[in-house]
Amino acid sequence: MVSSNSTEPGSGASPRTAQISLLKEQAIKTVFFSTAFLAVIVVSFILLFLLRDGYPIFGAVGLIPFLFGMTWAPTAAEPLYGIFPLIVGTLLVTLGAMVFAVPLSIGCAIYISELASPGVKKVLKPAVELLAGIPSVVYGFFGLIVLTNFIRISFDIPTGETWLAASLLLGVMALPTIISVSEDAISSVPHEYKEGSLAIGATRWQTISRVLVPAALSGIAAAVILGIGRVVGETMAVLMVAGNAAIIPDPIWNILSPLRTLTATLGIEMGEVSIGSEHYSALFGIAIVLLVITLVINLSAVAILRHLKEGRTSVRKPLIPVAMKESIVRICKAAGLVLVLLFLLIAAPWWLTAAIVFAGIIWYYVKDRVSERHIQTIAFGLVGLAALIVLAILVIILQDIVINGLPAISWEFLTQPPKDLGRAGGIFPAIVGTLYLVLGAIAIALPLGVGAAIYLVEYTREGKITRLIRTGVDLLNGTPSIVFGLFGFAFIVLYLNVGVSLIAGQITLALMVLPTVIRTTEESLKNIPQSLREGSLALGATQWQTISRVVIPPAVPGIVTGAILSIGRAAGETAPIMFTAVVFSSRFLPSSLTEPVMALPYHLFILATNVPGSSTNKYGTALVLLLLVIGFYAVAIVIRTHFQNKARG
Amino acid sequence: MSESVIINTNNLNLWYSEKHALQSVSIKVPKNKVTALIGPSGCGKSTLLRCFNRLNDLIDSVRITGEITLDNENIHAPSTDVVTLRKKVGMVFQKPNPFPKSIWENVAYGPQVHGVRDKAELDRIVEQSLRHAAIWDEVKDRLHDSALGLSGGQQQRLCIARTLAVNPEVILMDEPCSALDPIATAKIENLIEMLKKDYTVIIVTHSMQQAARVSDYTGFMYLGKLIECGKTVQIFEHPKEELTENYITGRFG
Repeated sequence: MVSSNSTEPGSGASPRTAQISLLKEQAIKTVFFSTAFLAVIVVSFILLFLLRDGYPIFGAVGLIPFLFGMTWAPTAAEPLYGIFPLIVGTLLVTLGAMVFAVPLSIGCAIYISELASPGVKKVLKPAVELLAGIPSVVYGFFGLIVLTNFIRISFDIPTGETWLAASLLLGVMALPTIISVSEDAISSVPHEYKEGSLAIGATRWQTISRVLVPAALSGIAAAVILGIGRVVGETMAVLMVAGNAAIIPDPIWNILSPLRTLTATLGIEMGEVSIGSEHYSALFGIAIVLLVITLVINLSAVAILRHLKEGRTSVRKPLIPVAMKESIVRICKAAGLVLVLLFLLIAAPWWLTAAIVFAGIIWYYVKDRVSERHIQTIAFGLVGLAALIVLAILVIILQDIVINGLPAISWEFLTQPPKDLGRAGGIFPAIVGTLYLVLGAIAIALPLGVGAAIYLVEYTREGKITRLIRTGVDLLNGTPSIVFGLFGFAFIVLYLNVGVSLIAGQITLALMVLPTVIRTTEESLKNIPQSLREGSLALGATQWQTISRVVIPPAVPGIVTGAILSIGRAAGETAPIMFTAVVFSSRFLPSSLTEPVMALPYHLFILATNVPGSSTNKYGTALVLLLLVIGFYAVAIVIRTHFQNKARG
Repeated sequence: MSESVIINTNNLNLWYSEKHALQSVSIKVPKNKVTALIGPSGCGKSTLLRCFNRLNDLIDSVRITGEITLDNENIHAPSTDVVTLRKKVGMVFQKPNPFPKSIWENVAYGPQVHGVRDKAELDRIVEQSLRHAAIWDEVKDRLHDSALGLSGGQQQRLCIARTLAVNPEVILMDEPCSALDPIATAKIENLIEMLKKDYTVIIVTHSMQQAARVSDYTGFMYLGKLIECGKTVQIFEHPKEELTENYITGRFG
């Protein structure tokens, strides 16, 4: 008889070893399945705990008065919990941000994909990625110090913390998302369309505006929706510049009025609320409303993008029938025109109305005399200008922080604890605390995320369960970071009774970056050619052997890149950790996982909003945080390009 | 050749970075005739075709020397507007490439970009072009359906109609039947026969039978050179060059 641990070829045929190896395969598969299913469990837990803590307010106040009540005064003698001004605030900030960001982003995307020379592209694309990498608290800091002052002085108003400031800042933060997704959509329009149009004698601009952009329209729509999702879910930046008065601007188009969003309310009040009170419950009610809004937004974007992907591989089925599309376009155009007219008649200052009417008249008379060539020149100029503005925004933000931050950087600043509430001394505990937080987060998220991705790509066909898991991942991905913060607080800090601690922050951040890890791992696994798997399986290797020896090794660079990107994102986040893990000032490093820590983003937030007279150290902290996050991104990009070049040989 | 010449190349050379893809090509294309370009894969026939409407401009690494004239005007001259050139020299591609728009919009696109705005005029051009391309009867009841719902052969005739709608002088066809079945191919070939009354057609084809069936003149290319060019009958029955004879009799290729 052949002994069961023999390594001779052919010994695997013995029934006993075959059974054992089958069991082993089953066990491995089960482990991967559980990691993948975790996403679904986390989502249900988030919903469960938000509902558990938020439900009482609906009982006490009623759903309709809660949603449509006009006054938010939770700390008044007779508290009122009406969140309508907050909902309106969120909508207005988003609307303003999009008015500013959408034309700029689409112009920039067109420039990058169609006009930029390879050299210019090499500058612009990393610039856009860099813009995406700036932590939101740094945006908020810049907005608070520079942008609000600029607005205060230019409009001669008592404070620059306004709807306008919030919309401009959030618009900038939405730029990278919209630019990169729409650039992708335009670039992937089949080359034949472009050739076909040019061969007829259309100009380049006619080809872009009448063939390429319409063909990429669904992708661009998805880009805008994702941008909206980013803006609606943002907490720290908007909180720092919006003024936070829970009022509806009067008149409604007064962009110089302060306002307050749903997220900002959570960020401001969560830290001071007494646990279990009506107010506490109302905040969780807000989180539920916020979650519902962002989920609807993100799922619709995901649905559009997924439809596009499937449309490419199979027969193209238009999302809406052509005839219907035409009438929809017509209705939208008419509605847009009516809105603009209404705005001009009622709201806009007379000189703006006059200017627009004047421009319209001139255009009407000139348009037939302007040659296509001139139109092209003008259009290319505008598109190039959009790209230039995006680049300028990046340069302005970076130079402000670098120039003002550099004087603060010293050996002492980097290695000493803070003194005098952060006005003096250093930020050493905050640097270490941030590193602890992100390393712990990735240590938790990486195995779970990689396991989930392996299960999704290698072990199942598309079916009900994968759809459930994918939806879970998408939902998790669309959840605003402040909601993770609330969940971490309600579940880990309170329910599990861990307290405000390093480990609570690590877990919360891990949940937040989990979808990114899953996505990037999935991508890199899918890039491994099927023929490699078949080659291995045809030699009689088991599935696990194939995965561990043939599939994973070439996917490692992609997985590592994803992990580092996640670390970068986690390092810049404030909202998830501010109720779960951090303290503002601590002379010592944490000695165990159950102690709270300092963290750079939170430190910067408190210095910027609560500690007057710490200007140098604020900028120093912002610079260190920026360099840390960008450093992570740079490493990831270097790894990615290194292995891309290697793969090309 | 006795006929009047519409396109003339003189000592045309083209490089893709280092690769010398067209070598001293000199060809005269007669007006209102069908000229076929044949030769094995990679011989440069499609590249030559794409020189005539300067579609090679889209590729950064391309370098061209020599002269190409259309109606005795140098198409690379600084005064030549590439948009006007492409309006005069239409092109039908290997794979049908209708835009993801309705049938009507596909045909009207060309006139629209060249400034026709009047709806009735556009309707007239669309109908005339579709009739010319022998597809009107098949699509007249669904002009506003997506062009992507048509069969491959119909899509290709739609692309021909789209080209006709801007009223070109020359139509370039880059293996227009290679993605089509025999019935659709026959329809396109009949169409080419009809088109030469009003247009000059230059067709790149893989199939020698097709060249023999549809063309008046044939040019044979090999490894970037134009080996021989003349009346189709003469090329196929009494080729002057041994290389041409070997290719036509199927000894290589």
